[in-house]
Amino acid sequence: MKYALGIDIGSTATKAVIMTSEGKIAASAVVSIGTGTAGPKKALMEVLDKAGLDRDQITWTTATGYGRFSLEGADDQKSELSCHAKGVSYLMPGTHTIIDIGGQDIKVMSINDRGGLVNFVMNDKCAAGTGRFLDTMARVLNVEVTDLSDLSEKADEVAEISSTCTVFAESEVISKLSTNIKIENIVAGIHQSVAKRVTSLLKRCGIKETIAMSGGVALNKGLVKALENEAGCKIHVHEECQLAGALGAALYAMENTKKAS
Amino acid sequence: MADVKALLAEFDEISKNPRKMLDSYLAAGEKVIGSFYYTPQPLITALGMIPMGLWGGQVNPQVAGKYAPIFTCSILRSSLEFGMTGAYEGLSAVLMPILCDTFRGTCAAWRAGVNIKLIPFVHPQNRKDPGALDYLIEEYKYVKTELENVAGKTCTDADIHAAIDLHNKKNKVIRDFCAAANHHLDLITAVTRHHVMKALTFMKPEDIIEKLSQLTAALNELPDYEWTGKKVILTGITAEPDDMLAGFTANNIAVVGDDLMQESRLYRTDYPAANSAMESLALQWLNIKGCSMAHDDNSRARGEHLVSMVEENGADAVVLCMMRFCDTEEYDQPYIIKMVQDAGYMAFSIDIDQSTSDSGQALTKIQAFAEN
Repeated sequence: MKYALGIDIGSTATKAVIMTSEGKIAASAVVSIGTGTAGPKKALMEVLDKAGLDRDQITWTTATGYGRFSLEGADDQKSELSCHAKGVSYLMPGTHTIIDIGGQDIKVMSINDRGGLVNFVMNDKCAAGTGRFLDTMARVLNVEVTDLSDLSEKADEVAEISSTCTVFAESEVISKLSTNIKIENIVAGIHQSVAKRVTSLLKRCGIKETIAMSGGVALNKGLVKALENEAGCKIHVHEECQLAGALGAALYAMENTKKAS
Repeated sequence: MADVKALLAEFDEISKNPRKMLDSYLAAGEKVIGSFYYTPQPLITALGMIPMGLWGGQVNPQVAGKYAPIFTCSILRSSLEFGMTGAYEGLSAVLMPILCDTFRGTCAAWRAGVNIKLIPFVHPQNRKDPGALDYLIEEYKYVKTELENVAGKTCTDADIHAAIDLHNKKNKVIRDFCAAANHHLDLITAVTRHHVMKALTFMKPEDIIEKLSQLTAALNELPDYEWTGKKVILTGITAEPDDMLAGFTANNIAVVGDDLMQESRLYRTDYPAANSAMESLALQWLNIKGCSMAHDDNSRARGEHLVSMVEENGADAVVLCMMRFCDTEEYDQPYIIKMVQDAGYMAFSIDIDQSTSDSGQALTKIQAFAEN
């Protein structure tokens, strides 16, 4: 049995997947710290431990994500755009549009039936609408970012956040808090704000069914719902959405493993 | 081969050291006029002065913020920073076309914060109106008078005609180089091509004709190189820094043409034959097609131009090098990408920000294009 490793080193989290030569996922790991930290090493150790393997039993390692060039011992590096496309296509065949909200950027991709990129757009100008934006807002509200989804479910109306800039939006949220607007409604407003920004990129890239969301932010059901409302279409989320980039990298690694043998 | 490498090294040196060029001109007792894009450079040449391009540069502005908001387009903000911090010291004057709202604001900021004579002028945007030609001739007459004051002498119509001929010859030499470069993509990488094109904006027209003709001739003597990687056309205002451009080569991608303001866009429209030299200068602006800065009744002109560039040069994609906060360029982005993609080619944009050296996201996009 041969094993291939894909590791997605993002700005806020590291994800790793080991695949077997039979195309099955042998193990996976998610560590909530990213590039420039102990995150990549930790994720590597955890995934190897779960698979019961040593590093030298891995035939090929492909790194992706913002920190892809920083991993020692990687055999090659692939862009996160290509890896998300490949990973989502594996998890959800038939997907033609992918939304990925990462720690510091938003990606929208159009892919073909083989998981190849046809078109892609990313936010260029600022952190608004990114995972970092959600982290900042959660901190201002004094809640965990993982609680945002449940909080927005309990909103009875949406407190609109009109600022697109993260810094100005932070001030706006503080202003709303000071006027005793319910946190739940503010969170719904934050999700709507992110959804509007993502939808403009979605429209720029082109919406083609089926649409899927990848990355850790996709686990936020409140945000996905807000996005569906803004974009006017169904957004599909796989339970392993957070692993999509690492999985795509592992699939690339497996192709090289096969070429090498 | 030795000639090519030595000549490329010369262009590389010039592109990286405009200050050294300026000092050498000043040491020789020459007067130098800073020129933003779309300025009537033959007037400068006709008066025996030297036009030098102003393109901002990689700098994190520290003092420009006194006048320019953070969302000022990157190139004008860095140019203002250089003006305020003495980087342009020695220029006798600066020609500034008010091509957009940011130029208008920068004009006011320049007057307040930079101690170099400014000669602003405004191009007509309704270029089809019969009055546009008369209006621009009048604007250029004002520019001529101001330049004559700087030069301390006047120039005749014949002087300007001679300068126009020189600049048209320069344009042809540059176009010939770009065509020759595509047969030697092993030597003329994205970075080396940019260095050559950028260096030209700091050189005298007669020196460009001499040096670049030598380089083109040296390239033409070499056997053609068959490039097997992907090929792209760049469009936008500038495509920098080198780290970003090196990403194309690292991913086996060659630049086979450009529609960049700093590079080919400036040289593709010659000064036409006309009733007078001033009319020729003005007609050149009226004849420009497919530029975000020049309003066109044909709203698809730039897209059509880019698609034809892709087809003529056998390219695979158009890369929009989007100058940060340049709204004029930004408005073109959606329709250009659609037109290029509808024609069956890839198109994507990368962010050009002179205030940071981090090209991480651009490199990711370039790599993703190469992988698919």
